[in-house]
Amino acid sequence: MATLTLYSVAYDIARGLLGVLGSVLPAGARAVVLSGDAVTGLAVLVFAAVLLAASMLNTILLIWWERKLLGRFMDRRGAMHVGYAGLLQNFADGLKLFRKHTFPPREADGLGFYFGPTAYMVTSLAIFGILPISSGWNSGALPLSLLLALTIFSFAPLFIFVSAWSSNNKYSLMGGLRSAAQMIAYEVPLLLAVVAVVVLAGSFDLTTIVYEQRNYWFWGPLFLALIVFVAAMLAEMERIPFDLPEAEAELVEGWNTEYGGMLFAFFMLADYLRALVGSILVVLLFLGGWTLPSWVPAGLSSFPLAGILWFMVKTYAVFGLFVWVRASLPRVRTDQLLRVGWNRMIPLALLSVFLAAAVVTVRCVPVLGCVPSMGA
Amino acid sequence: MANEGHATTKPDENPILWVTRPMATAARQFTKSLWRPSTIVYPYERLEDPGFRSKVGVASGVPIGVGPIWDNYRGVHALNIATCISCNLCAFSCPDLCIEMVTVPGGDPKHPKKCPEIDYGKCSYCGFCSDACPEGCLTMTTRYELSTPKRSEMVYSPEKLQQVFQHKLPMNPIRIELPKNEDSILLDPPLCIGCNACARDCPTQCITMLDIPKPDPRPGEKTPRRIWKEPVVNDSDCVRCGTCISVCPKECLFWGAPK
Repeated sequence: MATLTLYSVAYDIARGLLGVLGSVLPAGARAVVLSGDAVTGLAVLVFAAVLLAASMLNTILLIWWERKLLGRFMDRRGAMHVGYAGLLQNFADGLKLFRKHTFPPREADGLGFYFGPTAYMVTSLAIFGILPISSGWNSGALPLSLLLALTIFSFAPLFIFVSAWSSNNKYSLMGGLRSAAQMIAYEVPLLLAVVAVVVLAGSFDLTTIVYEQRNYWFWGPLFLALIVFVAAMLAEMERIPFDLPEAEAELVEGWNTEYGGMLFAFFMLADYLRALVGSILVVLLFLGGWTLPSWVPAGLSSFPLAGILWFMVKTYAVFGLFVWVRASLPRVRTDQLLRVGWNRMIPLALLSVFLAAAVVTVRCVPVLGCVPSMGA
Repeated sequence: MANEGHATTKPDENPILWVTRPMATAARQFTKSLWRPSTIVYPYERLEDPGFRSKVGVASGVPIGVGPIWDNYRGVHALNIATCISCNLCAFSCPDLCIEMVTVPGGDPKHPKKCPEIDYGKCSYCGFCSDACPEGCLTMTTRYELSTPKRSEMVYSPEKLQQVFQHKLPMNPIRIELPKNEDSILLDPPLCIGCNACARDCPTQCITMLDIPKPDPRPGEKTPRRIWKEPVVNDSDCVRCGTCISVCPKECLFWGAPK
């Protein structure tokens, strides 16, 4: 049985669609429509559409998941009226925002005002073209996919700053400055923590990194890097306790003060898209991606699409951790944030790089086992 | 030190605790409310609903911290139009001026029956009106659901208040029995002109105009008095509403101890 991959599914959908179209066309046109190039071209589009739909659906589900979890942390229920257990509440909210008019402030820079949120949204979506979901469910083998994902991920401060600057509002500008400072401060420990993983896995390819975790997941030997990565990711996602640029309790929404309607929805969705990307990266880099440990019964991972199921379970569990942190910790001050970023996170990340190098040198971890590709 | 002046953090404490302790607290709360959060899903669950109370394990009548509707809860009024005597005392006592006496069918043309119409946009639910009601026909109930999309629907006509009364809602109307006013309506005879206003407006019709012998002319009186009548109050029927005092054009009626 051929393995079901995302591209094969998209190819079959495209061929089916073109087959329906070809059956109603004259013979000359049919040959063009059913040619390999046309099917391949449409398959790419279908592929992109499936990715887009999946990422948006998961983003909205993620918001629901956060609302429900946060409700339980606060001894209440969260959304529960629209749809079963409030599942459709966020769709209703999105529809409301979609129908609203966006007013740019007077003397705002129109190009930057509209370009900022759009680019923020588009770059956040673009990462989903890179992340593998399961074996075969990715957009082909990219040797540097991890690097590419993190590069696109780090575009965000630029677009936030552009939209904050062009809002022509001093609060937006200050929020944008804080956001940029924060993201740059936490970019370094984030990448250093990733370096530890890369050293251990010996590859920048996310699929290979997951494959290298077949003996043991990397969170064991790289627990320090996991902590640094999660903390830095929280800062990158601007979630509590690192949400000072937004600071909904005391500032006026920070850099998206002047945005309303669909542009605000873009920021909101992109924030949660980035939260989803963060959770997925934690799962891919440290929690073995779509694989299960070898002591788990094979029946749990052998049914069709099991990889995607376990991947989603892990992703939502990691996001649950983020929600737990949000429900527990108060917001830090700017000076604390920057001091922790530069003074604590970077040494810890460097230490974890050394640890990873040590593991590679001795090739085996006492309890867990050996690095597969360098295996003894 | 950046944190100087803040007494909230102890310097000798391990900073790891600042993270782990709140997270443990949140986790404890999470597990506690995982099965059933404390919130009451209001439109679907009601505190006064016996089924809900048995579900959360509280016998009916026993107040739980967020207990049932208490007996002395002051909600929407209930009005029994049949026993209302149109005495106006509720409107007099209302501190928010939200009660207006409106005509309802059932009175005779000379004495139209007037019952309270309550504007809940203004009402502060103090309950003075039901305390003042001499007949006990206007009471506060435990009904609390008043929300409406229109302001005009906040004004409850006597008929609507009558419907609340007829619903016989599971609620205990409370009313403080005010001690009856010991004073009676007294008359200062030389001032009375016999105009009949008090007798006309008395809600219980306990005032009758009795014929009197021709009185002596008052000092400085230009025209002699033409109506030789004076009000007599039937003290046992009087509800002490004071309507007669307020309508008297000559201010010759007043409160006083009966002789």
